Amino acid sequence: MNVTNNRVAVTAIGIVSPLGIGLPETVESLRTGRDCVGPVTRFDVSHCRCKTAAEVPDRGSQPILLRGGRDRLHPASHMMIRALDEALKQDPAFSPDLAVIGTTSGGMSFGEHYYRALARHSGLHKAPRWIANYPPQKPVIDALESFGIESPCHVIANACASGTNAIGHAFHCIRSGNHTRVLAGGYDALCELVFVGFDSLQAATPEKCRPFDADRSGMVLGEGAAVLALEEWESAQDRGATILAEITGYGISTDNHHLTQPNPSGIGARLAMEQALRTAALDPDRVDYINAHGTATRFNDSAEAKAIAELFPHDVAVSSTKSMMGHSLGAAGAIEAVVCIAAMQNSFLPPNINFRGTEDDVRLNIVANESKPHNVRVALSNSFGFGGTNASILLKAAPP
Amino acid sequence: MSLHIAGTGWVTPLGSGIDAVWQRILDGDRAEVSQISDPLGTESYPLYRVPATALQHLPPHPRLRRASGISRFAAAAGLAALAEAKLSPNDIDPDKIALVFAVANGGVIYTKRFYSDIVATGAEAASPLLFPETVFNAAASHLAAIIGLSGTTYTVVGDGSVGLTGLKVGEDLMSDPNLDHCLIVAAEEADWLLCDAYAKWRLLRSVGPLEVFGKTAQGTILSEGAGAVLLSRTGSVAIAASSGGGHFKARHEAASALSRVLKKVGSRDDAIIVSSANGTFVDAAEATALQQVSPNGLLYSPKVALGEGVGAAGLWQIIIGALALRHQTLPVPQYPRAQNPLPNDAISLEGRDEVTVLSCGLGQQIGAARLSRSQH
Repeated sequence: MNVTNNRVAVTAIGIVSPLGIGLPETVESLRTGRDCVGPVTRFDVSHCRCKTAAEVPDRGSQPILLRGGRDRLHPASHMMIRALDEALKQDPAFSPDLAVIGTTSGGMSFGEHYYRALARHSGLHKAPRWIANYPPQKPVIDALESFGIESPCHVIANACASGTNAIGHAFHCIRSGNHTRVLAGGYDALCELVFVGFDSLQAATPEKCRPFDADRSGMVLGEGAAVLALEEWESAQDRGATILAEITGYGISTDNHHLTQPNPSGIGARLAMEQALRTAALDPDRVDYINAHGTATRFNDSAEAKAIAELFPHDVAVSSTKSMMGHSLGAAGAIEAVVCIAAMQNSFLPPNINFRGTEDDVRLNIVANESKPHNVRVALSNSFGFGGTNASILLKAAPP
Repeated sequence: MSLHIAGTGWVTPLGSGIDAVWQRILDGDRAEVSQISDPLGTESYPLYRVPATALQHLPPHPRLRRASGISRFAAAAGLAALAEAKLSPNDIDPDKIALVFAVANGGVIYTKRFYSDIVATGAEAASPLLFPETVFNAAASHLAAIIGLSGTTYTVVGDGSVGLTGLKVGEDLMSDPNLDHCLIVAAEEADWLLCDAYAKWRLLRSVGPLEVFGKTAQGTILSEGAGAVLLSRTGSVAIAASSGGGHFKARHEAASALSRVLKKVGSRDDAIIVSSANGTFVDAAEATALQQVSPNGLLYSPKVALGEGVGAAGLWQIIIGALALRHQTLPVPQYPRAQNPLPNDAISLEGRDEVTVLSCGLGQQIGAARLSRSQH
């Protein structure tokens, strides 16, 4: 068996999120701790307990000028196309031999349109368009085809860990020598079914999203897309690509405690973080910043805080940027990986806003409410999801 | 790195049990076409359903109490694949096995129920019990819990070729020397809503049975079930080459994409092909691609017997390819072009060591694999 341990470089990133369209807007929002959560405008939430979400600005989910007519595509396709456009403008020579992208709900809002039209017996002339653009692989294919990329795409749907799993699997594919260049990322667009679902579980809050706060009351949904161009280190160097960061570790665990709740001991999260550190051959005290999953639900934050406190005895800086941009589900892991790279490139710690204080027995060094200047050399990004899936990736700043 | 199929399992409209269904396929049996109607009875669609007897050996488990059909099909197929490899959940080192779950439409029945309550009554009627089962990876989570797996579990989504994507993801995972096995499971559950959607997409035929390679594409008939393949370091059939997750932009480009993937996996000009022909545009695309790459091939289309299993279909094809090699027999072939008289019986593959599986989905994705008899 051919076992390699190739290094994995990040040569380009693209992002569309409530924080902004593109990296410069994203960095500015992170620096200023902008709260992007507002009233939901996409569908009726009058009968929901939670009435807010973090929506991508309209221009982020509208067509950009590329070959062919694209006005029939799902908004998720437009977000993916924009994110890939930004990445390819940074590294036009990047030509992936595989794409691994995470999502949870694909073009679900088109499925909703179709079902509502069926129920009211009208408007079904649009059904073929809705159905053709509903499948979860479609926004990925749309993005790849928009730029003439013929590489296969593997779409991972591991609930809220999907984006981190996609990056982690891409990392594994390059590290093992199976692939040289892999486009990784994630996407998800807000939709009624998922919004109402989290509302029905009372996991979504009618108040502010306050990850790790003692009085946290739940999550707020978000949306977006992000992609990262990953390449075997020497290949990237040989072609003179600018290396933005290095992915050094990946951990995944499956927690069979419950379909929707983590084991309260935090064992699932801990195993994923431990494996990421082990892959990177890195001691926990070398980690400068943890971008936590931090959904602001009672069970998730409690289990994650416990796992972090046990594994990182030093006062590593922790924040959940979901406090600013909501939880974008399948996109979250990819967006938060980009956030980590932005933090490393711009030497600051992104804030955990709306924070007042943890429970007395929680020992976390939260980056409270404001960003802080800090030389971030190594960052860990966590994503945990329904189904007991836990994923962590380790990122390292590129050499100066 | 050499990977092998060490175990197989399936739940199909022809029943369950590898040997029993294989014999029915060799006998030329076709699953029975039933009809499914929307709640008002205004529309009716042909459908191949899994018979209730197919799940009679599925052991009870707390995770399956409320689970939908897709989770039950997957559990039955997955456990059968482990059993064929003489592994039980109690014997497995939970860190040394990965699970890749391939799915196309997911838990459509619970998703429909959950959303129909919202549409009919409002958000306040939404069920917190149903919502978690609507998530794509719910069925994988149940299976992981049943097996007791603690490491890698991936749910991959796609169209009818997603089983081939799952196989490729499994191959990539097995490059980790710490893994002994990767269980790949692909599943689908059928519902009138799915049939209606495919009908409105103009891909469903109005009456059965399903026919392939006709003069005009009459459409397909959906089915349901699951397939499972256990990848290991040894086994009777090897994965010689595979490619999953390929794509094409428009249907008229499907043939050239299929040609490329056939060449990529090294399909010979006289290959034994397990095809994904299903009565739609796929048939013509496959016929063109095979004419270009494997013009002297022998071809079997399992969807004639099992229907279009969408998420499950790709692994059914892989299993049939593996069984054809294991038993040195190909079920009654079909031909993508005029070639009479057609043989009426299964034919011997004596001396043939390879089978190519070709898969073209309805959602712009393709995949292929070349299987070979192994020395193990």
